[in-house]
This record gives sequence, structure tokens and C-alpha cells, in this order.
Amino acid sequence: MTRTFRAELLKLRRRRTLIFAALGALAFSLITTVAVVLSAEPVANSGPMRDGRSPTIESLSGSGAVAEPFSIGVSFLGILVLVLFIANFAGEFSQGTFRTLLMRQPRRLGLLAGKMAALLVFAAGALLLAELFSILTALIVAPSQEIATSQWLTLDGLGEAASTYATALLGIGAWATLGASLAVLVRSIPIALGIGIAWSGPFEHITMDVWDAATQWFPGLLLEAWAVGGTADVSASRAALMLCVYVLIAATAAGMVFRRRDLAS
Amino acid sequence: MTQSPPTISLEGLSKRYGDHVAVEGLTIEVPAGVVAGFVGPNGAGKTTTMAMLLGLVTPTAGSGTVLGHPLTDPAAYLHRVGALIEGPAFYPGLTGAQNLAVLAAIAGHDPAQIGELLELVGLGDRGDDRFRNYSMGMKQRLGIAAALLGDPDLLILDEPINGLDPAGVHEIRGLIGRLADGRRTVFVSSHVLTELEQVCDWLIVVDHGALVYQGPASDLGHTGAAIAAVPEHDHDLQRLERLLNAAGHDSEISGGEVLIAVNGSKPRQLAADVNRTAGAEGIVLAELGPHKTTLEDRYLATVNGGER
Repeated sequence: MTRTFRAELLKLRRRRTLIFAALGALAFSLITTVAVVLSAEPVANSGPMRDGRSPTIESLSGSGAVAEPFSIGVSFLGILVLVLFIANFAGEFSQGTFRTLLMRQPRRLGLLAGKMAALLVFAAGALLLAELFSILTALIVAPSQEIATSQWLTLDGLGEAASTYATALLGIGAWATLGASLAVLVRSIPIALGIGIAWSGPFEHITMDVWDAATQWFPGLLLEAWAVGGTADVSASRAALMLCVYVLIAATAAGMVFRRRDLAS
Repeated sequence: MTQSPPTISLEGLSKRYGDHVAVEGLTIEVPAGVVAGFVGPNGAGKTTTMAMLLGLVTPTAGSGTVLGHPLTDPAAYLHRVGALIEGPAFYPGLTGAQNLAVLAAIAGHDPAQIGELLELVGLGDRGDDRFRNYSMGMKQRLGIAAALLGDPDLLILDEPINGLDPAGVHEIRGLIGRLADGRRTVFVSSHVLTELEQVCDWLIVVDHGALVYQGPASDLGHTGAAIAAVPEHDHDLQRLERLLNAAGHDSEISGGEVLIAVNGSKPRQLAADVNRTAGAEGIVLAELGPHKTTLEDRYLATVNGGER
């Protein structure tokens, strides 16, 4: 597993990949943070808040708001992570590279775990960079909206930023595991993407309209609830518990299938 | 051939996919230190067999050992095996050298050998090009370089000459010959025997998933010596064959010549008899001498039902 981890990092450590990831994090942070900060209005002018996710000038002025734009932005990142992990893992099948790797590392579960760990470490780094860019951008843009930033860089403010990062990272980890598992089970990029996007996008949301309990059971909706710290329908703790179960089931199924399946075209 | 235990030993190995039998009861041995050609028509089960040796495919039945370890424990031997199977599969966005570095890292091999290996396969000046920009021949050569990582005791190469132009075939064949230094065993498959004829000293022939022949390449389909007679005029070919058979010889037309089985006779005396018989009927022989069969001739005769 350690060797696979190192080998995967060799691919990710390439200059082109690092530049692409850094630029992606920068663009994501700039767009989401500027959009959140500039759309904030004083409480007196704003309408009813939806799920507590429409920030106001006042809510952004507190110590806990330092990473609020990042938190809002990252809640839209799940599908992107799902797509990237599906493409990465299913791509190993379509290119035949899993075959090449397994001839060098026949311990299949170790191969999967090492690869997954390296990709998650890389994602964690990109996420951290995105949060730092987001905070920096918010510090620059906030004064134009008369948002007070004096509380942002206090100990409480930084603690809140760390907590936001941990929440985002766990959510991203769950999206990533579900995407990777789906890719291993299906082995085809277009089919896995079709299933993953259709399920977590239209299917869950349409079902939610006709079945209220869907928010408490469907993984995509649970991940959305987790990203916002829980909703009126699902608490953060229930979302976390259910997601742990889903992640465990998905990873176990993918591991078992990958371990037993013949790898030949 | 050698006192060392066989590098590969398979006993009744089978692989079925539903009703389709890919490999059926294959029992073979590959002695240590040989270049073993694994030959058979397309779909004969060569790649599936190699995939089972590499732990990529689980046999339906049978057993075997590779480098003394059971097939069920590929982790015990794969660090001593280098392989290229089902074509070279690498990351298209990485350079040749980067792809080798990834494989060296995952196998725990020293990456310092990468430059040397790229030189060995003729990619010394193209190692920094992306894999997606390689030609078919370059991809195959990178695949062989990858197989050589860690200086393996056993090389398994699946159709390494597939898709190459004649110059590439010549080059890879030469490379395989150089890689077999007597210390390393090379197990190489092809559906065209002529590609391997010059480098193989051991041959395993399969057809429809089953073994047809295994043994020294020189023994394949050896049915005894013959002499060949070529009349001056082609229209005399059938008449010569009839005359010789009528005279009690075992002869047949093959290509543009009449082959006469020696069958225990003295070849020199037999040739004289043939010459005399032909001359008596006014047939002038343009050629008369020992018949030389190519390995390909014997392989085709074997696969087409000879020894199965």
C-alpha cells in the first residue's frame, strides 16, 4: 500500500498537475468567494434565509464567518469530486493500466487503498489551498461590502476555519469514495459517470419532491445536508452516520469485486 | 535439458467463461533459462494462460507453479517476473520515463535503472516524450523496458511483435535474443511462428485452448528425413511422383518438389535410385538433395491436425 501511495503521488506531483490543481483552487475560490461576499446584503434588506445559507453583511462579520464563503462554495464541489474520481479509477480500467500495476503489485486491496489514499491526500491539499485563497479573497473583497473582518483572524475565527475545512474534507472524502467505488464496480467511465451524475443529481432531487424521507436516506442529499452542517430534515450527526454506512458498504463492495475479478480484456 | 526445476509448471490448467473454454487442461513445463515460444493461432488461449501466470485471471481448474511458487500466491513470485501482456498499457499523459518511474515505485525497484533500460530498448532519446506521442513500435519497446524493471528472472511477453513493421520486428526479435542470456527465462507468445523461430529453443504449441506440442523447437513435428527431387519441367512433377510410388518409394508432392521419405534407407542410395528412375523415363532432375523443412512448416502441420 505504501509503495502504491508513493507511485500515485509521483503522478500527482508533476508540475503540470500541480499548476492545474492550484489554478483550479484559485479560480474556484475567487468565483465562489466574490459571489458570496458581493451578494451579501444587510439583514434589513434581505429576504427569508434558505437553509441558513444566504449570508448577510451581519452574519459575515462574526468570527465564525471567516470561512463561510468557502463553506458555501465547497458545497457545490461534491459532483465535481465524484466525476474526477470516477474518471481516474475507471480510466485505469479503460487504459489497461490497472493490469500493468497489478503485475507489479498483486495485492489488490493494497493497490486500491494506496491509490485512494494518495488521491485523497492530494484532494486535501487542494482543498486547503482553496480555503486559504478563499479567506484571502474574502479579506480583500469584504471591505467593499462594509463587512467587518476584525473577528475573522482571531483564535475563534481560525478554529471555525479549521472546523469548516474538516467538514468539507469529510464530505469530499465521501464523494470520492462513492465515485471510486462506482468506477471499480462498473469499470466504464461513461457508464459510471452516467449512473453517478444521474443518481445524485436529477434522480435524488426529483424523488425528494415526491418522497420527503428521501433527504434522510439518499447519499447525495445526505452529503448536501452534511455540507451545510445539517438541515431541518436531517441533523449533521445523522447525515454523518448514514454516510459512514454508505461509504463502508461502497468501499467493501468495490474491494471485494476488485479482489476477485479477472483483469483481462 | 537442464537440471534446474522448471520456471513454469502447469498441471491441467483450465479457464472457462461460461460455455466458452479459453484454456483446457493445459499441462506444460518451461525449463529454466530457455527462450520458450508459446505459439498458437489467435484465440488459442495464449493470453489467458499468461494472464493466469500473472495473477490477473483466476484459473477455473488446475494448478501450477511459477519460479517454484504456486499460482495461487502471485505476490510470492511476481517481484521476480517482468511482463508485457495484451499490449503496452501506460499513462498517456506521462512520459516514458515517468511511466517507468511509477512502475519502479510501485514494485520497490531502483529508479536509477530507468535510463539504462530506455537505452537498451532504443528509447534513450525519447524517454521524456509523452507516451501518447509514441509510435506503436516505441510503445512496445517501452513495454519491454517496463518488463525488465528489477532485472527479472522470468520475462513473459505476450505478442511483443504485434503491429510492428518489418524493421521493428527485426529489432524486437534481436532484443529478445539478447535478453535471453541463459540466466533468465523468456516466455514469449506469438501467433506467427516465423517471428520467434530464430530466437526460441523451446516451443509450446496450443490450439483451441489445448496443448498440441511442447519440447525443443528442433523436435517439433519431426517425422523423419526426406529427400527432395525437382524435375526440370513442372509438368513432370506428377509423373515423377507416380513413377517413384510405383517403384516402391513413399513420395508425395509438396510445393514445387517431390518429397521421398528416407524410411530407413541410406539417403545416398535412395537419391541414386530416384535419379535412375527419373532418368529411365526421360525426366531430367534439376535438383536432388536432402529436404529442409522450416519450423513454420512443421508448426502448421502440427496445428492442422498432425499430432493433436
